[in-house]
Amino acid sequence: MPDTDSPHPGRIAPLPERRGVARRLHDFLLRPEASVIVVSAALVLYFEVANPNFLSGDNIETLSQFVAAPVIIACGEIMLLICREIDLSVGQVFALAPFVMGFAEAAGLPIIAAMVVALLVSGLIGLLIGLITIRLSVPSFITTLGAFFLINGITLTISRGFPANVPVGTDLAGFMGAWGYAEFVWALGIVAVMHVVLRHTRWGLHTVATGGNVIAAAEAGIRIDHIKIGNFVLTSTLGGFTGLMEAFRVGSADPLAGGSNIMFLGVASGVIGGTAIAGGAGTIVGGLVGGIMLGVLQDGFTLQGINAFMFNIIIGAAILIAMVANIHLARWRAPGGAR
Amino acid sequence: MTEAIRAEKLKKAFGHTTALDGVSMHVAYGETLGILGDNGAGKSTLIKILTGYHQPDAGQVFVDGRPVALASVSQARALGIECVYQDLALVNGLSIYHNMFLNRELLRPPNLHWWPFRLLDHAEMRRRAERALADIGVDVPSVEVEVGALSGGQRQAIAVARAVHGEARILLLDEPLAAMGAREARLIIGLIERLKARGDIAIVMIAHNYAQTLEICDRIMLMQHGEVTFESPAATTSAEQLLDIVRREYRAARAG
Repeated sequence: MPDTDSPHPGRIAPLPERRGVARRLHDFLLRPEASVIVVSAALVLYFEVANPNFLSGDNIETLSQFVAAPVIIACGEIMLLICREIDLSVGQVFALAPFVMGFAEAAGLPIIAAMVVALLVSGLIGLLIGLITIRLSVPSFITTLGAFFLINGITLTISRGFPANVPVGTDLAGFMGAWGYAEFVWALGIVAVMHVVLRHTRWGLHTVATGGNVIAAAEAGIRIDHIKIGNFVLTSTLGGFTGLMEAFRVGSADPLAGGSNIMFLGVASGVIGGTAIAGGAGTIVGGLVGGIMLGVLQDGFTLQGINAFMFNIIIGAAILIAMVANIHLARWRAPGGAR
Repeated sequence: MTEAIRAEKLKKAFGHTTALDGVSMHVAYGETLGILGDNGAGKSTLIKILTGYHQPDAGQVFVDGRPVALASVSQARALGIECVYQDLALVNGLSIYHNMFLNRELLRPPNLHWWPFRLLDHAEMRRRAERALADIGVDVPSVEVEVGALSGGQRQAIAVARAVHGEARILLLDEPLAAMGAREARLIIGLIERLKARGDIAIVMIAHNYAQTLEICDRIMLMQHGEVTFESPAATTSAEQLLDIVRREYRAARAG
């Protein structure tokens, strides 16, 4: 019925109210990360029952190391996915950065300065990718596919295809990755910072607006190009940082490290955690949770003695299931209930 | 009533197509002007000149009696001219209050004076958005609701509220009632009436529906082939009269 005589013609129907614990549980379960947390907890339980070593100190350390790199990469990819871009080449920056650091150190720079040089080069690569994508209107899928092979070639050329040593046994090496939980602490720190950036800064809000409705964002005066290019720089820099971290942990730089594997794990972590591939929505915490779930899967099945081939089948199925669940749960997630 | 905006003898051609052929219009604060006409009559071109999106080939626009050059959308906005488009204005994934403050966000005062990065002041934005909506009688259960969950009419109301809150004094509405049910249309008509009653906002709306436009607007203008063919106070005009004029124009166009 048209409410022509309504005393409040501007009235928008209120949401149905639920109270107390049920309401809280309901709200939690409708969060994009919630299903992943529930599934991860179930997996941990299952693996612990199947193999009592699963929750041993050693294994948790291994697990934390496996989780850290994809989660940090995910922080960048999530920002890019939210503003409707993607970086396929980040894993190659991951491989290149330790060699850049090595060359800078060999050229006489102190190790800290050499690390800064490596991060600057990583950021510069992101800047170039961003400029090509935005200024020349090339889809980032294509730009970064090209960059993937290009950077890989550069890494192989400057390394001549051989691994290089990275200083071990120093406090810095321990701080950067050699100490058992160093990587995971970095990952948590970066997650915390990026969560604040996404939810509590203009940069984050404008990233969501850019991906959500590019015309509305531009109409409001948001610099779309700055937002996108900035997020490419961010992702590449995080990729380079992760590469340095892993090199310090392993004690050497491997030209074949990273690549597509680490990139896909990063993107998958974000997507499993509820980031929309179509842009406009996503959470950093979801990326952390997604990364942990992938880590638990890999580590748990490794302990069970399931081989790497099988693992890819499981990871693929996990991504598909998570995507289907996310898309279909989103209908109930909209305020006001099922629509 | 004080005149808000006046356009004199605007002309605009795109290649060989004449979109506007000497169009003049004016609207005062507290007044609502409805522009009716078919597709291709020049309504959108007129609106786009007033918002600084297109520049006229000839003619002059005056705001508050002063001649102005509307060279860009931001220049027009700085003069208090804002256009609300039905579908393009809001970001679905963001809450009502984030949309209302899009790119005009409020930031928290810095805790440390040397720290360059400042965080969003969500609480203050929420509070001000609530007040701004209450001021013009748009009643929402929560400004934290994502805009994507709202209906077309509610979204339109939020977009109008944002423009007014952003200090728009000359509000251009592009088909504000298109594709809306009776209830939704009521919501927007009520909103327009409340804005009119404030007396400090001039409204220009483009529309198709004669009866609705006559009901909402103080004055209506009929456009055809880039010219104003009829102008009259809404009170002394009927929908039948308008239809008659349009029919006659068609017949003349077909004969010529």
